Amino acid sequence: MKPSAPLSPTVLSTTRGAFAFAWRSLVRQPARATLGILGVAAVGALLFDMLLLSEGLVISMRDLLDRMGFEIRVTATDQLPGQGQDILDGADAASSIATLPSVRSVITMRTEDATIERPDGSELRTSLLGVGGGSRRPWTVIRGREVADTGLEVVVNDCTATRLKLEPDATITLRATCARGAEAPPPVSFRVAGIAEFPFDTPGSSETGTTAAALAAACGADVDRSADFLVVTSTGDPDKAAAEIAALRPDLRPFTNEQALSQMERGGFTYFRQISTVLTTVTLSFALLLISVLLTVSVNQRLGEVAALRALGFSRRRVVLDVLSESALIVGIGGMLSLPLGALLAVWLDQILKGMPGIPTSLHFFVFQPQALWMHGALLAATAILAALYPMRIVARLPIAATLRNEVTG
Amino acid sequence: MKHLIFVIALAGAFCGVWLHAQESTPTILVSRQLAAQEGLNVGDAVELATDERGGKSVAFRIAGIYEPTPDPMRLGAVPREVRLHLPDLLALTRDESTPEGTEHVEAINVALANPEDASAFAAELNAKMPGILARTTSGAAGSGTTFVVLERFHLAIAAVTILASTVFLLALTIMLVDERREAVGMLRLIGLPARRILVQVLLEGLLIASCGAVFGLVLARGSEYLINAFFQWRYDTALVFVRVTPSVAAVCVAIAVPLGAVATVAASWALLRRSGLRLARR
Repeated sequence: MKPSAPLSPTVLSTTRGAFAFAWRSLVRQPARATLGILGVAAVGALLFDMLLLSEGLVISMRDLLDRMGFEIRVTATDQLPGQGQDILDGADAASSIATLPSVRSVITMRTEDATIERPDGSELRTSLLGVGGGSRRPWTVIRGREVADTGLEVVVNDCTATRLKLEPDATITLRATCARGAEAPPPVSFRVAGIAEFPFDTPGSSETGTTAAALAAACGADVDRSADFLVVTSTGDPDKAAAEIAALRPDLRPFTNEQALSQMERGGFTYFRQISTVLTTVTLSFALLLISVLLTVSVNQRLGEVAALRALGFSRRRVVLDVLSESALIVGIGGMLSLPLGALLAVWLDQILKGMPGIPTSLHFFVFQPQALWMHGALLAATAILAALYPMRIVARLPIAATLRNEVTG
Repeated sequence: MKHLIFVIALAGAFCGVWLHAQESTPTILVSRQLAAQEGLNVGDAVELATDERGGKSVAFRIAGIYEPTPDPMRLGAVPREVRLHLPDLLALTRDESTPEGTEHVEAINVALANPEDASAFAAELNAKMPGILARTTSGAAGSGTTFVVLERFHLAIAAVTILASTVFLLALTIMLVDERREAVGMLRLIGLPARRILVQVLLEGLLIASCGAVFGLVLARGSEYLINAFFQWRYDTALVFVRVTPSVAAVCVAIAVPLGAVATVAASWALLRRSGLRLARR
């Protein structure tokens, strides 16, 4: 394979000269150059954020699902977990799925609304998650210990612990509101085994976790074998495990993490991708139009100067390169400034969007990825070239003698 | 003649039985999208079952096709839905161990004689019936908060866009004013005071900004139609994505026109502070 030839010293020198010349043009007009660069920085920051937003939610959700350690979610319908019907024989389904060779572990998940009675008689609303069928838990204990497999014990999230001033080994009185079971189950006392972090914790919301048996007891039922959904860990091949589950229980719908993400992308996540595409297009068009106008006006004001340079011996190619270099400098410096600006803006916009109800604390809308950085650079480079096309055409076709005569007689 | 009467009577009886059967068949409504996908029409007989194998199926007649209420929270999901009368749904989904009349429902909507009592009513119900959770519709509407947040997000994007536009506008006006430096110098030399020229610049800025704002509104109106048409086709929904309301248009004009005028004056200010001779010098 033939190695690529290095750039000749003449080309390098011409390019360097063009950039130096463009730099002097910018420095000579500091106000307009600064404003142009700042404008590009603001537009570039928005563009960078839109690129982060286009994939941010999906990347963040994938990370969240992966961190939970379960590769497959099994539901009763085509709806994602928490959106469809319950699996009425959840515990039995978990037991039979656990026997499959490609499955390592299965647990059942069921969530009910509940209230915790405060000492002053008021109540704190909480979400009571009951987990059954295995020793793995979807939460991470940060203080205290894990709930025992038997007995009435719970773990609570930090928000609950703070609001109720709870510590491990405290006792709480909990009243559940269940879809099935007793119509108005009596309040039940639970021991707080520990304080835990829940993967889908939302800011300011109370979360409580316990075993499926304890949840059934809170619902006033001796046994409840139903589940909202099942979560499965495979022995290494989630697709194979999902296929085996679908074959074993055709009435259930297994989702691998990738399938769940794909469904989310087609659903609510699509809004952010669409808005990102629309705003990226608008932002780029805006930048293109404005840089083009800035350069065109600038070139029109310097036609006499350009004609004089041509008369002094500057080639047509060289003056065209000067205009392109000026565009590249404005967009390049503005683009560099746009990265820290965009990062700050992303933090602010992320905070705004996380105000939506039900958004987990660890989910982010704007997530950095190297691909976004490359795309940002490529789009800005294309904008710099396209914006410079018309002013480059003006200087390339400039009639030297007529322009100089106009300068003198005008 | 007797034969004819007999045939007419027989046909009448048959029609009566058929009509009775038609009337006694429970009716459903089918979403437009499901009807289009499955080729269903009003009056068609269909069977619904709760499992894929079609066990325990029940016959229904399609009484109508409906357009689902656009739901932004379900954007992208094609609504393949049917609507049943609640007793028909309960009869269809009731399992054998559940006695009739003891089925559970997910929610009950209550319309109050006096809607202002909603909070007090919900509080009283929660106190008297521990097994249920009563909430006012405004409290239950989590999606309402979602749209408040999205509105805030859009406002933030708009603020950044306005900031970028202002910077570019300033750069452009500085260049344009600079281009007219000699003309301004001559006006100063023939005796026009700086204040008079500034008023002229301000009026010019106002005119240009007004024309720009009107052009922007026309562009927004045109893109409103295109964006709605595209996304309604893309998601098969009647949802309206963009709406240029009079209040939105008024806000845009209220921001754009003063901003344009101020940018023009700000760019001219430094120029007008110089002497006429300095400005007119080549």
